[in-house]
Amino acid sequence: MNIDIGKTIRMSDIIDARDGRSLIVDTTMASVIGATEGLEHVSEAIGSVNEFCDAVIVNPGTAEHHAPLLGGKNRATPVIRVDWTNAFRGEDFCLPATDVKRLMVSDGSDALELGASAVIASLLFGFDDDFESTNIRDLSHLARECQTLFLPLFVDIQPIGDRVSEENFEESIKLGCSFMLELGAEALLIPSCSAETLKFICDWMSVPVLVRQDTLPSKDEIEMIFENGAAGIVLSHRIFAQKNLSNEMEKIHWLIHEKEAVQ
Amino acid sequence: MSVYSGKTARLNRLFNPKDGRAVCVAADHGWMSDVTPNVVELARILKLVVEGGADGILISYGTALRLGHLMQGKDAPAVLIRADWMNMPRLGGSNVSNVLPAVNFRKMATSFARDALRVGASAITIYYFIGYSDEFEAINLEQAADFARECRKVGLPLIIEPMAVGGMVTGVNIAEILIASGRIATEIGADALKIPYTGDVKTFKKLVDQAGVPVLVLGGAKSDVPRDALELVDEALRAGAAGTVFGRNVTKAKDPKKMVADICALVHEGKSISDILEEKKEGFFRLKSDPDKCLGCRICETVCQRFHGDGYGQHLARLRIEFPEIGQELKPFKPVVCTLCEKCVIACPTGALKISGEGYLILDRELCTSCGECIAACPFNVMIPDEAGMPIFCDLCGGEPECVRWCKAEALTLVPKKKFITRN
Repeated sequence: MNIDIGKTIRMSDIIDARDGRSLIVDTTMASVIGATEGLEHVSEAIGSVNEFCDAVIVNPGTAEHHAPLLGGKNRATPVIRVDWTNAFRGEDFCLPATDVKRLMVSDGSDALELGASAVIASLLFGFDDDFESTNIRDLSHLARECQTLFLPLFVDIQPIGDRVSEENFEESIKLGCSFMLELGAEALLIPSCSAETLKFICDWMSVPVLVRQDTLPSKDEIEMIFENGAAGIVLSHRIFAQKNLSNEMEKIHWLIHEKEAVQ
Repeated sequence: MSVYSGKTARLNRLFNPKDGRAVCVAADHGWMSDVTPNVVELARILKLVVEGGADGILISYGTALRLGHLMQGKDAPAVLIRADWMNMPRLGGSNVSNVLPAVNFRKMATSFARDALRVGASAITIYYFIGYSDEFEAINLEQAADFARECRKVGLPLIIEPMAVGGMVTGVNIAEILIASGRIATEIGADALKIPYTGDVKTFKKLVDQAGVPVLVLGGAKSDVPRDALELVDEALRAGAAGTVFGRNVTKAKDPKKMVADICALVHEGKSISDILEEKKEGFFRLKSDPDKCLGCRICETVCQRFHGDGYGQHLARLRIEFPEIGQELKPFKPVVCTLCEKCVIACPTGALKISGEGYLILDRELCTSCGECIAACPFNVMIPDEAGMPIFCDLCGGEPECVRWCKAEALTLVPKKKFITRN
């Protein structure tokens, strides 16, 4: 008897059980800076990628208001972001962040009631020690709650604080992965990094590793990511500004899920 | 199959199912502001508000216990509970006097969603302050998220009220902040927004468009005249708003019942402001144009020159329609009219041009020297010389302007003119 069957089933909605791969789109930046280009109308935005990705990361409000669009056969399953930060409010936003804040806006049971197949929260790395410890405490509590709910926890590792430089960026990713593996995360999202670092992390981690991409990846980039052991790609909100997004998503979906099968 | 939730049922009570719109009145000022007559006489005012036909009334928990009986019945207004408290009106800089001025901006969650359900609420309303500090915004969002979670559990709609206030907010970025904050509130879990007007139809339309939930425009401080408040409603509706939550403009009105009924006539019946206020009856008036409504048909120009018989050709009209230039970004048609600014009267060296006893421009042709000073002074270039060099100008057709009568798009209207600079 598998007592973890709830988690297994939910995870298989996100990472295709046939090939162990996943294509995910993240729409949640709208809770930080409002609607970005292409994300003005959520139903249209999700509609343009729904058929071609395995999961879509949404905020709780979006999950509730657009529930009829999400989940089911040939449609993306919702992964609910349960935290919020102003860390991504840059100078180009009307209210740039001067004091970085992070907080929890939902929890496992709320996400489960909203139909989530998983929850996601960020480890914002490289800020001051108090900030980091509070972040780790909140993620630990979430991990314990998700364990009791058999709800997978994805952690989005974001080495973006002042203490992160070009020199220690990739080592910071490794440190974040180590912490989150120990914490009990079921899957990790990491930023784009060198093939060497990606391979090191994927070989080491016993949980799926997915790579975040701000732009639509080329065929070579997709091959590099999967050859080095990653389980998937997470596309950021920026891809919604792309013209003919559905066509591009269809191609990426084919390269990730169907090319291998054809070969 | 559609899933019928508690939220759906309660939103149906608030938003009229026929048009999806709602006229709400905020009557929670006694919970946060100083003791003003509208606070003291709340029971009498709320009775009038109910009689006026409001769809919802925003009150505090205590007021719901005390006066909730006024909102009994299927057609009575929905009860909206203010579930938080703040001290912004007492920080100074507002139009409310401060008996006990506050020093530090504070906001607290004061009721749970389940408390609001117990007093028969159809929704709760909470603030989301953005622009004061990152810390304060985070506190606001954390409270909003807590309410959102509880509201989902108990099936109670959550109305979030984004307020752009504080040192980080300027005249330049306020519209952008409001647009972003509306969407942020929705992403956190708002089922509807109560939000200030951005100042123009274009940016408010963007806000409504990106919010993704019904948007109710709030009225803010009491307007000097009812028309100003109704114009705000009219513009917000044209931008796609689902209705209003007006407070002081109703509760401090001379006749709260009529004010609510007037807003309902705009929101639910689609009546024009002029019809509602039955203007043109007494006092002075001037023309007002609305580029957003202008269709560019130029009938106003045609009827103007035909009515005055100055000759043939739209160039003789005493107003004009400006068109978007080819190759430039498409802008709305812009009717340019005489606003009775009186610059021409001031510029006239002989006193030939003046404001008549009825409140429109007249020319004493015997005093006019055709000097052209009035034409040069007109900031809108709506004065032209006749064959003798004397000015042709808008005379409001003697008080019943043909352009207004013929403009079916209501891009041209008559609005009250309070006073003249040059007329005794």
